[in-house]
Amino acid sequence: MADKMIAPPPAMGGRRRGQPGVRPKNMKETLKRLLQLTRGNRQGLGWILLLSALASASAILSPFLIGQTVNVIYAGHSAAFFITLLAGFYISDWLVRFLQQFFMASIGQRLILHIRMTLFRAMKKLPLAYFDRKQHGELMSRLTNDIDNISVTISDSLAQLMTYSFTIVGIFSIMVYLNPLLTCVALLAVALVFLLTRTVTRHTGKLFSEQQAILGRLNGQVEESVSGLSMVKAFCQETHMIAEFESYNEQLRKVSTKALIWSGYLMPLTNVINNISYVTIATISGIMAAKGMIEVGMITSFLLYSRQFARPFVDIANIYNNFQTAVAGAERVLEILDEQPEPPDAPDALPLLKPRGDIRLTHVTFGYNPKKPVLKDISLEIPAGTQVAIVGPTGSGKTTIINLLTRFYDVNSGSIYLDGRDIRSCPMQDLRRIFGVVLQDSSLFEISVRDNISYGHKNVSFEKIQAAAVTAGADSFITRLPQGYDTILTQGGTALSQGERQLLTIARAVLTDAPILILDEATSSVDTLTEQKIQKAMRTITKGRTSFIIAHRLSTIRDSDLILFLQDGEIVEQGTHEQLMALNGRYAMMYRTQTGMV
Amino acid sequence: MKLILKLIQSHIVLFLTGVFFLLLETIADLLQPTYMSYIVDKGVQGKDVHLILRYGAAMLGIAAVGAIGAVMRNLFASYTSQTISRDLRSTLYRKVQTLSFENIDRLQPASIITRITNDVTQIQNFINGCMRIMLRAPILGIGSVILILARTPEQAPLMLFVLIASTLLITANMKLGYPRFGLLQKQLDRLNTVSREFLSSIRVVKAFHAEQQEEEKFRSIAEDYASTGVAATRIAAIFSPLLNLTVNLSIVILLWRSQTQNASEIGRLMASVNYMTQILFALGMVSNILNSAVRAVTSAGRVQEILEEEPVQTVPEQPQAVLVQGAICFQEVSFRYARTSRDALSGLRFSIHPGETIGIIGPTGSGKSSLVNLVPRFYDATKGHILIDGVDITQMDPEILRQAIAVVPQKPLLFSGTIAENLRWGDENASAEQIHTAVRISCADEFINKLPEGYETQLGQGGVNLSGGQKQRLSLARALVRHPRILILDDCTSALDAATEATVLNGLREEAADITVLLISQRISTVMKADRILCLEDGHMCGFGTHEELLLHCSAYQAIYTSQIGGESHGR
Repeated sequence: MADKMIAPPPAMGGRRRGQPGVRPKNMKETLKRLLQLTRGNRQGLGWILLLSALASASAILSPFLIGQTVNVIYAGHSAAFFITLLAGFYISDWLVRFLQQFFMASIGQRLILHIRMTLFRAMKKLPLAYFDRKQHGELMSRLTNDIDNISVTISDSLAQLMTYSFTIVGIFSIMVYLNPLLTCVALLAVALVFLLTRTVTRHTGKLFSEQQAILGRLNGQVEESVSGLSMVKAFCQETHMIAEFESYNEQLRKVSTKALIWSGYLMPLTNVINNISYVTIATISGIMAAKGMIEVGMITSFLLYSRQFARPFVDIANIYNNFQTAVAGAERVLEILDEQPEPPDAPDALPLLKPRGDIRLTHVTFGYNPKKPVLKDISLEIPAGTQVAIVGPTGSGKTTIINLLTRFYDVNSGSIYLDGRDIRSCPMQDLRRIFGVVLQDSSLFEISVRDNISYGHKNVSFEKIQAAAVTAGADSFITRLPQGYDTILTQGGTALSQGERQLLTIARAVLTDAPILILDEATSSVDTLTEQKIQKAMRTITKGRTSFIIAHRLSTIRDSDLILFLQDGEIVEQGTHEQLMALNGRYAMMYRTQTGMV
Repeated sequence: MKLILKLIQSHIVLFLTGVFFLLLETIADLLQPTYMSYIVDKGVQGKDVHLILRYGAAMLGIAAVGAIGAVMRNLFASYTSQTISRDLRSTLYRKVQTLSFENIDRLQPASIITRITNDVTQIQNFINGCMRIMLRAPILGIGSVILILARTPEQAPLMLFVLIASTLLITANMKLGYPRFGLLQKQLDRLNTVSREFLSSIRVVKAFHAEQQEEEKFRSIAEDYASTGVAATRIAAIFSPLLNLTVNLSIVILLWRSQTQNASEIGRLMASVNYMTQILFALGMVSNILNSAVRAVTSAGRVQEILEEEPVQTVPEQPQAVLVQGAICFQEVSFRYARTSRDALSGLRFSIHPGETIGIIGPTGSGKSSLVNLVPRFYDATKGHILIDGVDITQMDPEILRQAIAVVPQKPLLFSGTIAENLRWGDENASAEQIHTAVRISCADEFINKLPEGYETQLGQGGVNLSGGQKQRLSLARALVRHPRILILDDCTSALDAATEATVLNGLREEAADITVLLISQRISTVMKADRILCLEDGHMCGFGTHEELLLHCSAYQAIYTSQIGGESHGR
């Protein structure tokens, strides 16, 4: 009864009694696969189930023993034997429960760790397309909450179901053996409880989903109006917002009250039914005892049995419900495991040795949705050492070219060659090593500055890290930080400005010493003075390397060897700045608008 | 805890009625074993079937009373707890709407949202639980002890032992368990952080081929989490079976000591055994109750914090009447954000005529947004005064002040609802023509007309189904619908391409010539055509004048100009 003394706080919106669960799509298949996942931990699970079965023994036998003791006492004899037996029983019950819960703790956690790492390993192999498609928040809860929930619920409810089935069968057999008539009374009560549970859940199911929907709307309204409070105030919409909130709030109260009333009947009415069965058994067995048909101890035994017999039935529906939800959660985790990972390297893939950085694109067509190509039939020849700038309006496919070069995505048709070799025939690891990448959002990790710069490399000497920082023009501000290179970057990077963060990502790219550099909008979110610093760093590091620069501000890329103007997935103009200005086409027009020369 | 008591107090009649019915129900439960003992001791031993039936009938009657109690307390508990939580949510929400930006900055929007949603639910669950199980368990436990003692006073030492032992066990469990569960929560947070970081940086992870490194990082945290999990659950594994054992052994002792008992009192013994199992049930509940109470008290504290928050800004009791024309005057204005040590703006002094367009430029962090935020009193100046048409804005009715100003923020904030509803935020009574004009100026008409449902298109939360540029244009149109005297454009055209931006700004110049415009931008080409330009550096005003004047006299402006336009072109 005191099964869980301190339970970890339940997840928000935790389901209550009588609330409907999510139905798994294919329970049997999922369970089979889950069992496969537990390989290596199965022995422990077997022990747990065995202990669970033993744990039911005390519930089954102790009322009988108490009844016997009462009989003996009633007869005026010494009950020492039965009482000692009972004591022994209770002590072994304690031992079994302790062992069960104690081992369950470590086995459960080991299982969780195992499944979690399996999921993480599967996830890290997935192609970028997957992460672009999915909501990160959702994936995150798979890695954290879902897995905890699945393992704990499934192992807990399995153990509980085990205990309960043994208890039900055991108690029922003993009751029938002791007295079939009284057993019928107890059964009648169970049937009533069953009926009650079904009636209640039928009503609550609809109410709870209605409540969930309104709660969702209310939470949405709160989230929107609180995080957008600046606009609410700027437009004096406070009254309007309050009125809207109040209306959801009142709706929520009405439906929650109803749902709560219905689901709230379950416990007390079960109790009432139990009381009635208690009365009936007490009366009938009393009469029987008075007539000498049974012994007094039987009354005690039966009264205790009838209580313990009813309890599993009340709980089982609930456990099964939780179990179903957990299995449905497991299905979502398994879905991730089933995703197609990035294509493995061809078995005969030759390593990339000393790549020069010649790039050739032949008739490349690609769309995130193949029906809507983002790049259309692009052909290009870029000799090693060229600085290429890609410009064009938003959505013209600039970043997509980068995504294809690094094989974040693979082309739909056509090919990309590196030093004359199709990039799909290169080992992925080698291919990605030849690119030094600086991305639009300067994503840094919550680790030290030093580890951020050497990210992706192991055992890099401090001299090398510092040299990279110096090249990127980051050394001066890093040394001014309180802990210098050992400063830990925190969420949002309070200590560093946006520009400084960007310089760190440039240092990170410098350290790779890659033959090809990619700078995707590296300066879009910084002011012009910082931009100059970044540009200076970029000039130093692109020297002698093939580089691709994507920029909104054309002043950044004026000196590039080759400028590609992309529009609607096609290269509409290409050449040097002077050539394109002379062409007086779209590039020239864009340049003039930006510099205010219109 | 005070808050919870206050909430209960406000519905004290309902609450007490609920508790009364709970009491009725519990007492009915408690009486059953006693009557059962009468059946055994008087009925069975006297072999009086009639008497047994009479006691049975009495028990049935008691069960019926219990049933009534159960039904009624369910009604009252549900109604009361939901009403209290509705009121609490409402009070909290209204309070939040009155807070100043400074308060919101301090409390953090995300945290405020959790408090209105999660924390209120915790409190609601607690109050609801109080009226159901939480008060029932102690009544049941104490009632059982009393009934055992009343009929068998000689069991007093045994009862004392049960009470002391179980108190010790429960306390020890809490003492050992709580810190571990606290640690577990912290490690879960860390697990969340690494997962989030991994997912949001997936591009970098792949580009640098650091999958293995990330896996090791994830594993080490997952392992810590697992071992703390084991430690935490093991505490419960030790104490909860011990609690069972304590009560069970008490039953054994009870039986042992009753061996010599008079056979005619066997019913009393049976009742005592029954009561002991009730006590076990009640004890099992106690730790759950403590848990829930601890959580509710924490939540109540967080909610209380908001309720006690005083809006930082003051509203004048007798606001000065003013018809806003759009003249703005800064008099030695300095501003510092709360809990920072540096002025974001210092010693600003300038005046703007009605109808003027003022470009504001300067590096990131130079105070551009802070400056415009002072005008509608999103924040109040730390030093100095800001006058609009000669009246200090702190002496004006904030509603009138904000009615006269429209703001277009850097990040467009739209709300769920139709496009038309969003636009009408500017002015509820705007005519269709006014809306069309606003939409035309902001170049939003072309995409709105292309949408299948046009103005009736439903926007998701925050306008998720629109692109960045579309949102910016809608947000601008919303401000124009307002027909403001002062229009604040905070770098709000960043997602528009240069051509569209130019069209929008030209449109504004022509159609809204009498509006005072404060125009922030990173691009010099955007502010160049303003009537005058204010150049900011580190919170100081380093130049204020026309483009030509600044090019001559302001070195910061010159630097920006050279970096963006370069030496190629001079002048327009």
